[in-house]
Amino acid sequence: MGYILNQLLNGICQGSIYALMAIGYSVIVGVVGMVTFAYGEVMMIGAFSAYYIFIYVGNNLPLAILAAFAGSFIIGIVIYKLCYERFFTAPRHISLLCTIGISMLLKNLAQIVFGPETKPVLNVVSNKTFNINVFGSTLNIRLLQIVIIVLVIVLAAALTLFFNRTKYGIMLRAVSQNKDASYLMGINVKRTALLGNCIGCGFGGIAGILLGIYYFSVSATMGSAYSMKAFAASVLGGLVDIRFSALGGLCIGIIENLGIVFTAATFRDIFAFAFLILVLIFRPQGFVSKKGARV
Amino acid sequence: MSQVPVLEAKGICKYFGGLKAVENVDMQIQKGDVFGIIGPNGAGKTTFFNMCTGIYAPTKGEIFLQGENITKMTPDKIARKKMARTFQNLQLFKFMSVLDNVKIGCHTQTKTNMADAILHTKRYKRDEKYAVEKSLEILESIGLIDYKDTMAGNLAYGMQRKVEIARALALDPVILLLDEPAAGMNANETDSLREFILMLNEKGYTIAVIEHDMKFIMNSCNRILVLNFGQKLCEGTPDEIKSNKDVQEAYFGKGIVAGEAVKVNG
Amino acid sequence: MQKIKDFYNKYKVIILLVLFVIMAVIPFLGIETLYIRYMCNIMMYATLAGSLNAINGYSGQMCLGQAGFFAIGAYTGAALSKNFGVSFWLLLLVGGLLAMLIGFLVSLPTLRLSGIYLSITTLGASEIIRIIAQTWTPVTGGTMGIKQIPYPEFFGLDMFRPQYYYYIFLFLLVLFLFVTNRVLKSRVGRAWMSIREDQIAAKSLGVETSFYKSTNFMYGAFWAGVIGVAYAPFVNFIDSTQFTTDVGFNVLAMVVLGGQGTLVGPILGAAVVTILTEALRFLESWRYVIYALLLIAMMWGRPQGLVGASKSMLAGGKIKVKEDKAKAKAEGGSAK
Repeated sequence: MGYILNQLLNGICQGSIYALMAIGYSVIVGVVGMVTFAYGEVMMIGAFSAYYIFIYVGNNLPLAILAAFAGSFIIGIVIYKLCYERFFTAPRHISLLCTIGISMLLKNLAQIVFGPETKPVLNVVSNKTFNINVFGSTLNIRLLQIVIIVLVIVLAAALTLFFNRTKYGIMLRAVSQNKDASYLMGINVKRTALLGNCIGCGFGGIAGILLGIYYFSVSATMGSAYSMKAFAASVLGGLVDIRFSALGGLCIGIIENLGIVFTAATFRDIFAFAFLILVLIFRPQGFVSKKGARV
Repeated sequence: MSQVPVLEAKGICKYFGGLKAVENVDMQIQKGDVFGIIGPNGAGKTTFFNMCTGIYAPTKGEIFLQGENITKMTPDKIARKKMARTFQNLQLFKFMSVLDNVKIGCHTQTKTNMADAILHTKRYKRDEKYAVEKSLEILESIGLIDYKDTMAGNLAYGMQRKVEIARALALDPVILLLDEPAAGMNANETDSLREFILMLNEKGYTIAVIEHDMKFIMNSCNRILVLNFGQKLCEGTPDEIKSNKDVQEAYFGKGIVAGEAVKVNG
Repeated sequence: MQKIKDFYNKYKVIILLVLFVIMAVIPFLGIETLYIRYMCNIMMYATLAGSLNAINGYSGQMCLGQAGFFAIGAYTGAALSKNFGVSFWLLLLVGGLLAMLIGFLVSLPTLRLSGIYLSITTLGASEIIRIIAQTWTPVTGGTMGIKQIPYPEFFGLDMFRPQYYYYIFLFLLVLFLFVTNRVLKSRVGRAWMSIREDQIAAKSLGVETSFYKSTNFMYGAFWAGVIGVAYAPFVNFIDSTQFTTDVGFNVLAMVVLGGQGTLVGPILGAAVVTILTEALRFLESWRYVIYALLLIAMMWGRPQGLVGASKSMLAGGKIKVKEDKAKAKAEGGSAK
C-alpha cells in the first residue's frame, strides 16, 4: 500500500512535468497549427541552458529556469523560421519533415557542442524528505517533488493569466482559432504565431530542466523519449486544448508509475502509448468533447 | 403517378444542436423529373442533399431510394444503390487526369480486388476494359474527350463542373443530385450547362438540382421545391412557384426578381 | 522532364530490360564487396521506403510507424529461423503476413482518425512494438537482441555473401515494384488515390473508404514485414535499437526526398540518403548535421521531392503554391 501511494506521488510529480511539456506542445500546435517533432530537442536545449547556469553561476533555480525559458525561446525562433513560416499553406508533411530535420540537427549538434556524455545535475534542491503517515503506511515526500509540483502549477496559472488577461494572449488565442479572421482583424498573424511557438518552446525548455533536476542528469539525447510523451499527452488533450493537455500529461505520468507497480519497470514506456491508443479508439478527439481540433 | 418515386423523403429533420437546419421536409422525385430545390442562403438545401446521400444522418425522418430505406446507410452504400451527386464547391480529384476521375466513378460497377490486379485475371481485364470504355463514352457525350489526359484541376471552372457530372454519371445512376452546378459560372456557361442537363434528362436520367439562379431553375426543372429556414415552403411546377405569394415574399423579396424570371421564361 | 517521360513511355520494355540486366550483372563485375553491401542497403531501403510510400503517397494517410512493421518482419524471421530452422523463403511470406495482421490491427483505430491523430497512433504502435521487442526476452532476446541469424538457403546453397543478398534484395525490389505497379493501375489503386485526393468525394462515388484505407495499410505493412525478414540475416544481428522511431523518420525522409506518390521516388530517395550517409562518413558526427541541413534545404527548395511532379496533391498543389508565392511576395519576398 505504501509502495502504491509513493508511486502515485511519483506519478503526480512526473505527470506534472509531462503536463508542462504538454502545455507547451499544445500552445505550439494551437497557435502555429502544425505539429513538431523537434520538441524533445527544444527541451534538451532548455535543460542545457539551465545546466550551464548551474555550472557557472551556481545553484540558482529561478535564474536557471529563466535561462531555460530564454534558451528554448531562441531555438523557437529558429524553428519557426525554418519549419513553419513558409509552409502555412503547404501540405502538412513538409513542415513535419522540416521539424524532423531540425530535431536531427539539434540532437547531433548538441552531441558535438555539449559532448555525448550524460551530465549530472546534483543538489539543486536539497535532498530533504518528509515522511507522512497516511492510513498506516508511510508516504515519503521529497522536497524536490513539492518544488516541481508547485512550480508547474504556478507556471500553468501564469500562462492562463497571460492568455486571458493580456493583449498578446488574446491575440494568440484569436490566431489559434482562425488565422484568416485574425489577419483581417489586423493581427500580424506571422509574428503572433512566432510568439506562440516561442512561448510553447519556452515552456518545453522549463520542462526540460525540471526533468533534469528530477532525474539528476541532462544529456544531448534526452529529448526523444520525452518528446514522444509530450506528443502523446497533447494528443490526449485534443492537441490544442491547454487544460486537457495538462490533464493528459498528468494521466500519463500517473499511469506510467502505477503501471510499473504491477509489471516490470522496463514496460514503463509502453503504458503511455497503450493508454493513448486506447483513448483514441474510444474518443478519437482525445479528452476534449468538442470537435474543434483543427489539426 | 402510381409508380414508386425514385427518391422520397418523409418528414426528415436535421438539427445541429439548437439549430434546426432542416425541419420536417417531405419530397418525392419521380422517374424522369428534373427536380429543382431552391431557397435563400442557409435554407438547408445542401444539408438536405447531404442527408439524402448519407453524409449526414437525419435527426428524424426517413429517406427512400426506389422504395428502399436508405436513411441509415453510409455514402458509399448509397452510391452502390446508384445515387450519384456533385458538390457545391467542386470536389474533384484535382491532381488526377480527367479520365482517371471518371474511372473512379466506375468503382461501384467493377469488382476487381487486389489479387485480380496483381495476377491480371480475367475479371481485371474485363473491369479495366469496362472502365475505360464507359469513361470514354461518357466523356465523348459530354464533350470532354479532348481533355481526357489533362489534369482535372487545370481545366476551366465550367469544365470542372462537367467533369464532376461525368464522374457522377459513371455510376450509372438512377438519380443524379447536382448541388449548385451553375455556381461561379458566367451566363454562357450556365446556358450550356442547362442544355446539358436537359439533354441528360432526355436520355432518361432523373435529376435533382439545387440552384440559386432562378432563370436556370425555372427553365430547366419540371418540379420545384422551395425551402426557407429549413422548412418546406411549397412545391409545384415552375408556374405554380412563380405565382405563390409565400415564395415571392420569402425568396424574391418584393417580386422583382420573379418578374424578371417570368420575362426570361416568357 | 517531359522529353524523358515520352522517351521512357516509348521504349518502356527495352529500358526496363536493359536496366534489369545491368542490375543483374553488377555483382560479376568484380566490384568491392563493400560497395555491393551498399547496393544491398540501397535496395533494401528502397523497398522499405516504397512500402511506406504505398501508404503515405497513395492513400494519403500519414503513417509514421513503418519501423514497427519492419521490426515485426525482422524479429519473426530471425526468431523462427533461429529456433525452428524455418526456411527463409517461407518466412518472407510469414513475416509479411504477420506484419500485415499487425497493420490491420493498427488500422482499426486509425479508421476513425485522420491527419495527425492517425500519425501519432502509428507512431505509438511502432514504439510499442519496439518496447515489446526490447522486453520480451524469451523470443526477441531482449536487449541482447538475436545474434547469428541463419543465412538463407537456396537449393542447398548458403547465401551468406553480400553478392547473394544482392540478388535477394534485387528480387524483392523488382517484385515489389511489379506488384505495386499493377495494384496502382487497377481499381484498387485508383480507390486509394481517390481517398488521398478527396475522401468525401470518394465516398460519394461508392468507394468504401474504411476498407480501402485498411487494405492500404495492410499492403504497406506486408512489404515492410517482407523486407524485414530479409534484413535480419543480412545484418546477422538485430536488437531493438535498430527499429527506433528515428529509423521510421529516416525512411519517411527517403520517401519525401525522392518524391511521394511516385514509384521511382523512394528508390531514388533511398539511394541518395544511403550514399550520402556513406560518403559523408569522413565527417564523423557532423554528417548527420549535414544530412539534416540537406533535408531542410530540400523541403525549402523542392518540397515535392526529387522526381515528384510539381503539380501534385503532395507538393501542395499548383493553386496553393501560387497563393503562397503571391503572399510571400507581398510580404517582402522572404521566401526567396
